[in-house]
Amino acid sequence: MIRLIDVVKEFDCKRKVRALDGINLSIDRGEMVALVGPSGSGKSTLLNLIGTLDRPTSGEIWLDGQNLSGLTDDELTRIRRDKIGFIFQFFNLLPSLTCVENVALPLHLRGWKKAQARARAEELLELVGLKHRLEHLPDELSGGERQRVAIARALSVYPPILLADEPTGNLDSKTGAEILDLIRDLHERLGATVLMVTHDAGVAASCERTITLRDGRLAGDEVRAARR
Amino acid sequence: MMLLKLITWPYVRKHLLRCTLTTAGIVLGVAVFVAMHTANQSVLYAFNRTVDRIAGRTQLQVSAGEAGFPEEVLEKVQSLPDVEVAVPVIEATVQTGIPGMGNLLVVGVDMTGDRSLRDYELETADETIVDDPLVFIAQPDSIIVSRQFCDKTGLKLNDRLTMQTMAGPRQFTIRGVMSAGGLASAFGGSLAIMDIYAAQMVFGRGRRFDRIDLAVREGVRVEEARQRIQAALGPGLQVEPPTSRGAQFEAMARVYSMTANITSVFALFIGLFLIYNTFSIAVTQRRAEIGILRALGAPRSLIRNLFLAESALAGLFGSLLGIVLGVAMARGVAGYIGEYFGEVYGVGEKAEEVAADPRLLGLALLIGVATSVFAGWLPARNAARVDPVKALQKGRVQVISEGENRLRRLVAVAMLAGAVGCVFLSSHPFFFYLGYMLSVLAVLLLTPTLCTLLTRWLRPALKWLRPVEGALAADSLLQAPRRTSGTVAALALSVALVIGLGGISRASYSTIGAWVKTSLNPDFFITGSETITQRSFRFPESFADDVARVEGIEEVQPVRSTRILYKGTPVMLVAADVEKIARRVRARIVDGDRESMYARTARGEGVIISDNFSLLRRVKRGDVIELAAPNGLLRLPVLGIVVDYSDQQGTILMSRDLFKRYWGDDTVNAMRVYAKPGVDRAALRQKLLETFGSRTRLFVMTNEELRAYIMKLTDQWFGLTYVQIVVAVLVAILGIVNTLTVSITDRKRELGVLQAVGALRNQVRHTIWMEAAAIALLGLVIGFALGAVHLYYILDVAKRDVAGLRLEYLYPYGIAAVLLPVLLGSALFSAFGPAEGAVRMSLVEALEYE
Repeated sequence: MIRLIDVVKEFDCKRKVRALDGINLSIDRGEMVALVGPSGSGKSTLLNLIGTLDRPTSGEIWLDGQNLSGLTDDELTRIRRDKIGFIFQFFNLLPSLTCVENVALPLHLRGWKKAQARARAEELLELVGLKHRLEHLPDELSGGERQRVAIARALSVYPPILLADEPTGNLDSKTGAEILDLIRDLHERLGATVLMVTHDAGVAASCERTITLRDGRLAGDEVRAARR
Repeated sequence: MMLLKLITWPYVRKHLLRCTLTTAGIVLGVAVFVAMHTANQSVLYAFNRTVDRIAGRTQLQVSAGEAGFPEEVLEKVQSLPDVEVAVPVIEATVQTGIPGMGNLLVVGVDMTGDRSLRDYELETADETIVDDPLVFIAQPDSIIVSRQFCDKTGLKLNDRLTMQTMAGPRQFTIRGVMSAGGLASAFGGSLAIMDIYAAQMVFGRGRRFDRIDLAVREGVRVEEARQRIQAALGPGLQVEPPTSRGAQFEAMARVYSMTANITSVFALFIGLFLIYNTFSIAVTQRRAEIGILRALGAPRSLIRNLFLAESALAGLFGSLLGIVLGVAMARGVAGYIGEYFGEVYGVGEKAEEVAADPRLLGLALLIGVATSVFAGWLPARNAARVDPVKALQKGRVQVISEGENRLRRLVAVAMLAGAVGCVFLSSHPFFFYLGYMLSVLAVLLLTPTLCTLLTRWLRPALKWLRPVEGALAADSLLQAPRRTSGTVAALALSVALVIGLGGISRASYSTIGAWVKTSLNPDFFITGSETITQRSFRFPESFADDVARVEGIEEVQPVRSTRILYKGTPVMLVAADVEKIARRVRARIVDGDRESMYARTARGEGVIISDNFSLLRRVKRGDVIELAAPNGLLRLPVLGIVVDYSDQQGTILMSRDLFKRYWGDDTVNAMRVYAKPGVDRAALRQKLLETFGSRTRLFVMTNEELRAYIMKLTDQWFGLTYVQIVVAVLVAILGIVNTLTVSITDRKRELGVLQAVGALRNQVRHTIWMEAAAIALLGLVIGFALGAVHLYYILDVAKRDVAGLRLEYLYPYGIAAVLLPVLLGSALFSAFGPAEGAVRMSLVEALEYE
């Protein structure tokens, strides 16, 4: 499902910084993977590359059998739109849109009819337990509720890949656990591949596989039975 | 200071383009203010300098407006005990016809006494002649010119110069060249001196002088002497120091200042909104920074003062730039105004150098900074109120506006009600201007509400054009009405300004066009000068009879027009055969009975005044006006008021017999000539030129030529108006660029999210373009409405305070139709840069952007 071959990512600051240094990695369909490592190890950079938000300096990234190298921005956007759902640490909801509008946004961008998009958004918000918050603005929600809206948005087109960047990092432990349960539940019910960046050892332990990064290199890849 | 360096400067450096655009309104507002006033002052300064240089040691001048007086007055003045020396002067401008030379100021003086008042500083001269005044007089063809004149024309001592005089073409010999500087530099160096009696012949003055220059005896106080001389001469002649001529000139220049002030106020208002908008967004963007400062112990007052200092600096920067630009623009404007004054008032003055008054520049600086600080006040207050806890929490960025404000709407409605109330009390200037201000402020305060309403109406149309992008663009405007309302307000102000200027221009053309058609109906106009507005050359009265005898001529109406002082302001006095004119001209009567008012005016029982005279001087029918004439004070009732745009300061029409009696002047400076029906006009014109061309200086203008000339003057008058329209449109475009730039920066994360969840580049581009177009459309719609109100008031300002013009309310649909594509196109063009920036930005950075 996801394959990285010798992926290097460098940033041109005052000094050239190599954030990822020759990553080779393969993630199969339906896996739920935790990506761990200390700050600055390159976790988020790797997630952004897989999520087509950024391009590697060198190397190849394959998604669902398609090589991303050489694709135009619009082609990358289409892949992102059809195959990837994003969950961010800081939710990245549009503050001026209601919950249902935020969730329906990717559907509108695909040209869905308003009623159709709204019906799907309501369905998804019900799925994440927020049916009673449809018309609320993000500012009126708790952190956990906002993250649920972000998850619902990520699932709007039922993407085969779900990328989450510290989805519980901005939440208290109880809410974090609830969100994690929700992601796992959706993973099992929808069969999506989940790649989750986390600092939390508990969160990592709940995944079937843990990939560790250190100084931009792969430092470990452990597969085990996930702990619930 | 340290905070400005540590916090503000890096921000400014990072957002240099945006900060520069922010000050654009202030730059242009200050520039227009400085340019127009500096140009006016420079022309005035040049005029005063000419007066001063020609005056020499003159302490007082005796005059009767522009009309002049009989020679006998000189003897009377010279015999007064306070007078040490008194010399006659004739002063007239002549078109040289030399390319690049412009007009020549010819001063006729009496060489026997004049050198005790003026020093000619001759560098080369035929000394036997110039040193002996009697020889100079004996040679009436003598002329002294300035060194600059010689340099420009290539003429030298003893060269001969042909001049068309009222006694036919005459040759003059240059018998002296004045060295540069002093008297010779008056009128930009285009100066010639000739003997006064020769000047009387050249200009057709008969036995009259234009004025007397005098110096009082040593030990006598000038003001006391002035009062005694004035008492001795009576009220018909004015005794004033030479400087008073500047004040009269200033009154004529005031019209330009007034229109410039309105444009400046609008431009500054626009600048105010641009600054408000940018600072509001800056506060949102810098919340984390503010939070850190607050967490480190900075009190609220420090944060507020930091933002106020920033707005003051923006104002200072914009004002300084505006001053530099304004002074640069002033040169062109001064030339333009000088030329226009030369055409219309015959007192054109070349402003050789632009002299910027430090007090004016100081005032401009103060206005610019104050506007900016005022605009920054609310954002600064909001910055001080930022909650440091929330500001430091990542991901808790708030949108710029929470939406609508009920209090503001209520205030706006109250202001609207106040403005309507003021309409009923608008006869009083205070309530009139209060109503004007309230109506503009009310519309501006209602802008966010109007933006929301209009966007709701616009949404289906945008969605119809592009379902996804249209909805996104409309929603972006709906969700943050205050983010765009600043720009929409600025844009609406620009549009309103353009509509106002365009409307007044359209109304003026229409009204003046109608007047020209009804009042200026003779077939020919014969004048001694190149244009009808110049009155330097005059014909003897008998010349009208000579013209009337030419075969094919049906009627000749001799006219003597001259500028006289009415309560210290120069106005136009037109002396004519009123009955003849009444038979030929169906002037629009504002007040009075057509039959009786013309008949009584013809009998010398009163005068008819123009509508603008009535409005500007607050004179009604039945009022008695006092006119100071050389032969006594005239008190005459106003018998009627007619529409007449002969002069911007107002016109008084009286019978020529009365004028001759009181001014002792039977010369005429123009003749209205009617041809017999069926006569070939071109042949008749040729015949007139052939018959009289060798005998006297004359110009025969056809009706079409005169109409074209008047429309050319109107074009010239509105020339600067069009410059102001361009400035207003420019400010509007800059406003759109500014808003889109700050709006895109403000929404960097939002646009990043949009792309992260699947928006294609073109979708983002189209969204931004449609948003820009929608902003322009909102500004246009509100601006068209505000323009309608502004036009109503500005027409009234023109009527009551500027030119006394009663102009018809004509909405400039043509200009509105042009504005629509221009501003929509500009908006789309302005959106290209920000849209490309938005689609090319790093998504990773955008998603982390706070």
